[in-house]
Amino acid sequence: MRRATTWRAVALLLGLSAMLAVQADERLPPVQGPATGLADSAALRATVFGTPPDRLAPMPDVVPVTEIDVRLPWRRPVPDVYWFDSDLQVWLSAQPKPAPLAIIVAGTGSGGFSGSVSALRGALYGAGYHVLTMPSPTFPRFIVAASSTGVAGDLYQDSQDLYAAMQYVVAHLPEHVQVTGVDVLGYSLGGANAAVVKSIDAREHKLGIRRAIMINPPVSLFASISRLDKLFAQSIGRDEAGIERLYQRLYAELANLYRASESVQIDEHFLLGAAASVLRTDAEFSAAIALTFRLALVEMFFAGDLYAQTGVVVDPRHPPRAGDSLEETQRVLRTKTFSEYFDKVFAPYYLAHRPGATRESLIAQNRLDIIAADLSGDPGYYVQTNSDDLILDASELAWLKRTLGTRIVVYDHGGHLGNLGEKQQIADMLAMLGGRWPGPRP
Amino acid sequence: MKRLFVALAFPLLLGACATQRLQTHALPPETPAAENAAAAARASELAEIEAAAKSQPKSDDGDGPVPTVTPADAPPMRTYDPWERLNRFTYRFNARFDDAVFLPVANGYRRLPSPVRTGVHNFFGNLAEVDSMINFALQGRLGFGARSLGRFVINTTIGIGGLFDVASNLHLAPAATGFGTTLAKWGVHPGPYLVLPFLGPSTLRDGFGLLGDFGTEYAVDLGGLYQSDNAWMLGVANAIDQRAHVSFRYYQTGSPFEYENVRFLYVRKRLLEDEGLHRHELPEKPAPGEPAGK
Repeated sequence: MRRATTWRAVALLLGLSAMLAVQADERLPPVQGPATGLADSAALRATVFGTPPDRLAPMPDVVPVTEIDVRLPWRRPVPDVYWFDSDLQVWLSAQPKPAPLAIIVAGTGSGGFSGSVSALRGALYGAGYHVLTMPSPTFPRFIVAASSTGVAGDLYQDSQDLYAAMQYVVAHLPEHVQVTGVDVLGYSLGGANAAVVKSIDAREHKLGIRRAIMINPPVSLFASISRLDKLFAQSIGRDEAGIERLYQRLYAELANLYRASESVQIDEHFLLGAAASVLRTDAEFSAAIALTFRLALVEMFFAGDLYAQTGVVVDPRHPPRAGDSLEETQRVLRTKTFSEYFDKVFAPYYLAHRPGATRESLIAQNRLDIIAADLSGDPGYYVQTNSDDLILDASELAWLKRTLGTRIVVYDHGGHLGNLGEKQQIADMLAMLGGRWPGPRP
Repeated sequence: MKRLFVALAFPLLLGACATQRLQTHALPPETPAAENAAAAARASELAEIEAAAKSQPKSDDGDGPVPTVTPADAPPMRTYDPWERLNRFTYRFNARFDDAVFLPVANGYRRLPSPVRTGVHNFFGNLAEVDSMINFALQGRLGFGARSLGRFVINTTIGIGGLFDVASNLHLAPAATGFGTTLAKWGVHPGPYLVLPFLGPSTLRDGFGLLGDFGTEYAVDLGGLYQSDNAWMLGVANAIDQRAHVSFRYYQTGSPFEYENVRFLYVRKRLLEDEGLHRHELPEKPAPGEPAGK
């Protein structure tokens, strides 16, 4: 968490604050005064600010962390512009004695260096697990170092790539790490990836995964991204002008706050305070959340367009080189939606590579339904989610409940990941992963 | 001779291949319990900041009216970077240097006991007070200058040569400044974005500022430390200490847009700080089509 703070502090200026708040841990106090009265308002706030510090689960004092850089034997040629992404980076926290291994899969666009992952790592390490964190298959470094396609976002294909990378890492763990069993878990998109990984493993038996926990997973990737596109269009706008307005407003607010403050520098302390006062309304929370996902999309879109040679922003005949300016490309990409990614990069690539596939079949294949039989029949799958998670609608939540039965817990509040690290969430997660889950409390 | 070379090089090459597949580096351990406690402690403090912020900027701070910055005053999103090619090269060099040398050394340093590192950090912080003091005076911010002076006197004496930051416990919180900020106060614009070798993001103005700071420290030559034969050791130790206190890591974002993102954030940060230095004026309206910082 600490290692993310300075970077987080500067990042706020871009409005990245939101991204880091969602993924990391802006531990800010709950709203004082009258309740807002709107469930979705509370959900948005929770999504942006995360678990209040007084409700965080107990954590161990010290968690050792080792970085493992892996050059996968099947890695594709590294494009010049990604010269720094040639090795997959995973983090291991090893117990000194034989122990089960918990593998965490990060959410959309995350490399696993976020506060969310730190919270899960701390809790799991404290409970006696070796902990290995994997980036999301949508993270640029994963796309470059471990993807078999370069086009991220396909639930099954990405999970297969993830599974292959996991096997390689687990097979090459340092010798002193003695593993007695393997479990997987993930949050957001990473939850869906983790479940599909377990499902693949149930047939291939390479890792012998016992249990999988999905924390705030999507059910339909396409439906979730459509919701995020809508959120962006509503809260920020559809074009460059909307992004510019957001930036100008943020800049002006920060400038006024800074002029009024006694701070000598724009530092982390100032920015943490500023975040709370700049992000106040539902529209601002929405913009922050939408921007978070948009910034992840910019990365996926660029990589996908480059690898699939779909030519939307990257000229396939003259791909950018390491020293080239990417400012214009980035500016254009900021206005691109998930739907455009699907229509112009993802679908063209997969339609060309999957005989018989149609646009509709691609949408259908990107639902958790593809492992529905496993989810309902295998007692090793669990779900933790919130009734006000904004990436799910009522029918999707009902589907999860129907499919998982007693192996799902639905908290009343928390929005999307807004209760990650909270006492009850962590206690339930450890009970599930340890096979001690009695079913949801009445 | 050639055969000997091949005989030597071959196993080396093999060794390199074997280690290249998988490399492990111990990172500084995480301390989640302490961090959660710190977050809880900070929560009330943040609530105060939030409340203060809600009471809205003062329209007059005693020295005259403080005009409100409006969104239309914001600098453009593009940044003035006429030396981009060179800057990108330097950025890449810095990333490689950091990965190969700077960060591993800083991580090694981080294994020293925490009180030792705090002492070292305080020591260098205390030395820097002299430069801050001079620059606060040049900026006409005498209150801050007095604070730096007070900190320096207290920490150098009671704090045993600056090893202990006693002044912070006496509610004299650290506040550092430099010649770059003095130039800003005098109305110098940031100018072209500049990536300095080893040091990272800067602007032409801040680059000159840094030279000014080095020059000041050399001229003042506190305790004879800066003009001695072993001054380079002081510089190296200072650099390692600084690096160990910065959590940024090159390309941890995995993003090919990292250069753009860092440039954007750094220049916006400096421009915001300029707004604070000139709180009685509105920022100059950027000419249409001109990038920020020009």
